[in-house]
Amino acid sequence: MTVEIRIDPTRCRGHAICALMYSEGVELDRWGYGRVVDGTPEGRRSIKRALRAAAACPNGAVVVEDSADRRIRLAGRGPDGG
Amino acid sequence: MIDATLRGVRSTNAAPVHRIGDIGDEGTWLLAGPSADQGPEALSSHLTRLGSLRPFECAGEYRTMLRQSGLRGRGGGGFPLAAKLDTAMLAPGEPMVVINASESEPASRKDWTLSAYRPHLVLDGGAVIAAVVGSSEVVIHLHRGAGAPVASLQRAIAERRSAGLPDPRWRLSLGPDGYVSGEASAIVSLLGGGEARPSFSAVPMAHRGPSGRPTVVSNAETTAHVGLLVRTGPHAWGAAGSPSSPGPQLVTLAGGAIDPGRVVEIAGEATIGEVLSATGHRQPPTAVLVGGYAGTWISGWAAWNTTFQREGLEAHGAGPGCGLLGVLPEGHCGLAETARLVGYLAGETAGQCGPCVQGLPLLADGCRALAAGTLRRRGLRRLLSLADVVEGGGACRHPDGAVRLIRSALDGFADDVAGHLRGEACSGAQRPPVFPLPEVDPSDRVWR
Repeated sequence: MTVEIRIDPTRCRGHAICALMYSEGVELDRWGYGRVVDGTPEGRRSIKRALRAAAACPNGAVVVEDSADRRIRLAGRGPDGG
Repeated sequence: MIDATLRGVRSTNAAPVHRIGDIGDEGTWLLAGPSADQGPEALSSHLTRLGSLRPFECAGEYRTMLRQSGLRGRGGGGFPLAAKLDTAMLAPGEPMVVINASESEPASRKDWTLSAYRPHLVLDGGAVIAAVVGSSEVVIHLHRGAGAPVASLQRAIAERRSAGLPDPRWRLSLGPDGYVSGEASAIVSLLGGGEARPSFSAVPMAHRGPSGRPTVVSNAETTAHVGLLVRTGPHAWGAAGSPSSPGPQLVTLAGGAIDPGRVVEIAGEATIGEVLSATGHRQPPTAVLVGGYAGTWISGWAAWNTTFQREGLEAHGAGPGCGLLGVLPEGHCGLAETARLVGYLAGETAGQCGPCVQGLPLLADGCRALAAGTLRRRGLRRLLSLADVVEGGGACRHPDGAVRLIRSALDGFADDVAGHLRGEACSGAQRPPVFPLPEVDPSDRVWR
């Protein structure tokens, strides 16, 4: 399964939790706003970390979607089983 | 009335012929017809001049013509319109069609000129786009501020209704003023009941807009070209441009131009020098600002022989943008103008994305310090690294535009930069501003 992680900059308030959870793919700028540097996590563990980052963002700024642009969530489990 | 001095034909036969004309001039494309003092063109005059359209019967044919034309958006983005329409047609749901006539660019007047004087050409284009993508309604979006061409568009819609033209439903939408409120995703957010602020999406709006429906937003000039090129055929229309910028184009003169706010049409490939000569300039100015207030500076000498088309401008890292051609006259300081423009852009943030909210005011401070001669080498390095951080950090291209303007200023006014960094007095920086900025009181700012 290919998934993509994105940060909606209009929602990001610089809590920086995404960079802790999905450290391999998110960098923080000088103010602490997250910027995705690797948007396509590979492997179960990495995808899971991306999903945790999305779940942990207090502003819902981190979004993980499948190849058909459907949103996948950690708790609810997506159409493909998460 | 034809102003003979506006016609410039290159002296050598080998060079392509171009034509520069005002509204009402014979031989122009979008601007042909009655002169400006006759007000909005009536439907009867419009149909006598250009003939009627059959958008529903000919939708397939029109779609082919739009594809063949290579028409690119004239609002600033320059995206091929046919590709937008194809995306919208493939996506599920009835597409939403929006004509963006808001013209948020403070000094630009071309969309206003078309909406005020050639409303039927704009509406024809809207009817064609709606028929091609299968949409029953077209929204025409304007800023509600003073001077919006509401009356002309309303009258034109009423004329078409009583004439029984095969039109979609028209809906005039008036949104808040402000630079980013005219951005496509901001308009569509507003139309969907939200605020007129840009939104973030990974999928193109033409596939799925903020409302959930495929959404085609087409600039007013782009839309007027649609109304025209389905009549003239895409090839004749395209030949009035260049291979990478097919079709004629509208240019608004701004800043220190002899007649700021004047809109001229270029048919064929004209250099910036030819456009300026046709509008009364005798020699290259210090610099030109191309594409908008968040555009690119090009030194006057370099610009003079550069065509105002994509291929010419790209060599200078610029693009036609919304067609703005600003003039920085002799003796004025480009760094001081840049500082004012960046200050304006910083104040026009939608206040959503961190890099824009945090970064633009700092960039503006840096530019002001540079203009004032108080910035030193280390400060300039900080300014440049800040620009790198800000670029690409927003949901829309607003911060990127400010960064582009700053980089082109540092590059184009390199000698001035060196003098300012040494703290040398700059007489040009004391002069009154060349590029007028809208007076904005932040407490009056509304997003609906």
